[in-house]
This record gives sequence, C-alpha cells and structure tokens, in this order.
Amino acid sequence: MSKHEESEPTLERRLTRLEEILSRMESDDVALEEALRLFEEGVGHVRAAEQVLSATELRVEELLAGGGTRPIDPDGA
Amino acid sequence: MTDDASLDLFAEHDEPHGAEAPAPEVIGPEPKVWSVSQVNRAVRGLLEDSVEPLWVGGEVGSWTRSRAGHCYFTLKDDKAQLRAVMFGRDAQLLPTDPDEGMKVRAFGDLTLYEARGEYQMVVRRLEAEGAEGLWRLAFEKLRVQLEAEGLLAPERKQPLPQYPACVGVVTSPTGAALEDITAVLGRRAPWVRIVLAGTRVQGEGAAVEIASAIDRLAASGLPDVIIVGRGGGSVEDLWAFNEEPVARAIARCQIPVVSAVGHEIDVTIADLVADVRAPTPSAAAETVVPDGAALLHQLRRTPERLGRSLRNVSTRRRTRVEERLNRLVRAVDRKLAPVRQALDRGEGRLERRVGALAELRRAQLSGLAGRLEALSPLATLGRGYSVARTQDGRVLRTVGDFDVGLRFLLRVNDGTVAAESLGAEESPTAGTK
Repeated sequence: MSKHEESEPTLERRLTRLEEILSRMESDDVALEEALRLFEEGVGHVRAAEQVLSATELRVEELLAGGGTRPIDPDGA
Repeated sequence: MTDDASLDLFAEHDEPHGAEAPAPEVIGPEPKVWSVSQVNRAVRGLLEDSVEPLWVGGEVGSWTRSRAGHCYFTLKDDKAQLRAVMFGRDAQLLPTDPDEGMKVRAFGDLTLYEARGEYQMVVRRLEAEGAEGLWRLAFEKLRVQLEAEGLLAPERKQPLPQYPACVGVVTSPTGAALEDITAVLGRRAPWVRIVLAGTRVQGEGAAVEIASAIDRLAASGLPDVIIVGRGGGSVEDLWAFNEEPVARAIARCQIPVVSAVGHEIDVTIADLVADVRAPTPSAAAETVVPDGAALLHQLRRTPERLGRSLRNVSTRRRTRVEERLNRLVRAVDRKLAPVRQALDRGEGRLERRVGALAELRRAQLSGLAGRLEALSPLATLGRGYSVARTQDGRVLRTVGDFDVGLRFLLRVNDGTVAAESLGAEESPTAGTK
C-alpha cells in the first residue's frame, strides 16, 4: 500500500518530457510566451530528476507470494 | 568390458548361486534341475556383477515412451541390436526424445529382464553423437515450433524503457547472477528499485518455477523491465532456459524482458523469445539502466541549454518584429509614393488657385465697401439732409413727435445744432409710417 505515494511523474516521464521541451524550444516556430513556459517547466523537471538521480542506496526487495515486497540485504544471502 | 571375461562368467560366479559344475552328460544320479527363474536370476546377477557400467554407441531404433515416462528402444548397428530401457527418472532429464536412426551413445548397465529372459541395457544417460546433439535437437524442435507460432518475430520485441524506476529480476536468490546484477545497478543507477522473484534455475521443475516467477513479477505490476537469467554453467545447468514453460512465460510477459543466461556463447530459447538478449547478467544490468553519472552530467547542463534556447527565441522574435516593421515602412512608402508625386504636382496649382481666390475676395470686398458707403447716413447728410433727435438720441420722424416748445438736436453734416419746436403742421399728402 506504501507504493501509492508516486503520483509524481516518473523519472522516465520527466526525462522524456525534457527531451520534448528541448526539441520544441530549439524549433523555429515556438512563440516567446510558449518558450518561457517551457523553460520554467523544463527547469522544474531538471531539479526533480536531479533529486531522484542523486539517490545513493540501491533498494533491493523480494517479491512475496501475496504480491507484496520485503527488503532484502543486497550483500546477504 | 573385456571379451575374454564374458567366457568365464559362469565359472567365476556359479558359487554364490550354489550351482554345481554342470555335467555335459547326464548319467547316474538325478541331475540338478534349475528353475527358469533361478537361471534368469543367476544370469542377471552375473551380468550385473561382472560388467561395469559402460558406454554403448549405435543408432536408435523403435523408440517408445510409456505413460509412466519410461522409454523403450533398441540400440543397433548394421549387424546387431541391443534392447535398452531408460526409466522415467533418467528419461525426464532428456531434453527431447531422439529421432529414429539417430546416432547416439548410451551409458548404463547391462542386465537381464527376468520375466522375459531378455537381456537389456538400462540406460542412465543418452547423448546424441556430437557435443550437445540431443540438446541441440530439442532446442531446434522448440525453436521451430515457437517460430511457427510467431513468438520469435522481431516485431513482437518490446522496446526497453530508457529510465526504469524498478527492475524485476528472476534468478536464484543465492546465485552469482543476482550479485552481479545488483553490483552493476548499484554502480550505474543507484536510484532504481530492484524486485527479485527468487527461483531455482536448474534441476527438475526449474523451468516451471522460473516461468511462474516471471508471471508473478508481471502480475505485481511493479517492474518497468525484467531480467531473467543465471550465471554460466553446463548445457544441462542452463537447460531450464531452453524449456517451453520459460519461453511461453517470457512471450506472454507484458513487461519487456531481458534474458541473461550464462556466458556469451550459450544462446538459449529464452534468449530468442526475450525482447533483448544480454550475454551475461552483468551485461543485462548495463542494458536496462542508463549510466547515472553521464545522465546527471547531461542533466546539469540542461538548464543552460534551455536558457540558450530561450534567448534565441527572444532575439529571433525581436529581429522578426524589426523586420516586419521595416517591411511595413517600405510598404507604406511604396503606397504613398504616387500620392506624394501628385501632391508635388498639385502644389503649384494650389498656390495659384489660392492666389486667385484671394484676389477675387479682395475685389468682392471693395465692391461691398462701395455699397456700404452708399448706405451710410453721413453721406446723405452731406447732401443737405439733417436728422432731428431728442436729447436722449430718439429720432423724431413725424409731426406728432414735435410737441410745441420741445427742445431737440439737429445732426447736420459737420455737427449738431440745438433747436426748439414752435409748432407743426401735417402736410396734406405726407404718408408717415
């Protein structure tokens, strides 16, 4: 049940969106107002993605019979 | 085995069965009579005790598999044949049934089937000629079948997510593969979550276990991509990954699957069905996640790139406005040009016209002045007329205005004269208003 915290866009979403934003902003027909909006959105995604990427500890879990998970020590047997 | 030994078999082994040396001719006392069972048992004992397990090479003939899983067949060459049986326990480890006529080698024991008195070989291992022959055969059979079903088609391959948040792993919880995978993911993408569906990866029933682990992971909805694999091993060790249950579980998995079985040289059915084949578990881990350091580096440069784009957009826009303005000015100029020309030409005419008008006005004005002059009363006074007015300026026009004794003033051409009325008489025809 603890995995419903993720209403946030996923890393994949953010990074693909960033690609879209960059290519849109680098296109010829973008209006200044739109470019401004995209800029702000893009910077937001960069910040959030950076935060995700700076995690340092790998989470290793084991799938249980009921469909839930339980953390396991990556070094332990 | 040695050929000589077989000749001595009876001589060496008769004692444990309590047999006397058989007499070639039966004379005198009643001969010792053996029952069939005794003989068969004795022969069986001789065979089993004296012949070490051995390899026999030949062609497979009349192969049948019973419902219990036992396999009956013959081994033969161009001159002879040998009955053989492979019991279910051993036969189930066969990757597939050999084709008739296939050249094989069988390892096992010679024995005698007492009920029939037939000697036979109990085969424990059966290998097709050439390394991995039977495995190869099984592999090919399944590959052809899966291919016919379209399960190996390139268009079935699902693309891997670029930046998975969760990686599913199907392997042994105690194997080297899991360690390799977590090591690589920890180094490259420590933000990911790994969900392991632990399973045995070799031995009886392993294929079914692997398949159900894949199904469970897919059903959990957690992973964005699944790695299915194990470390290297012999063909038999890897065999589960060549079995149909695993192939089908991978094929029906909605989440992209990366196979990672053994070392580079081993291609398995799982590899063929998987969306991506990685040669090793470590390579699979490298494949499923981006390099975090490079990604972070790129990400940190992104705001600058965004800023540059934004500046470009704004200067581009400014230039565009200027350009438009210039175009507009030029257009207006072009449109005004004929008008200006006309004005230039018209200017002289206008001036002349205005001059003429002024002249005309002047003339008109002087004409008017003459007429005004004529209307002025002063001019009339000049001709000898005068005007009588009271002290307060009221003009006296009729006889009735002049009461006797009324003092009044007479305005004449060059001044005013004081006067007094002495009497007045109406002229008979005078019409006054």
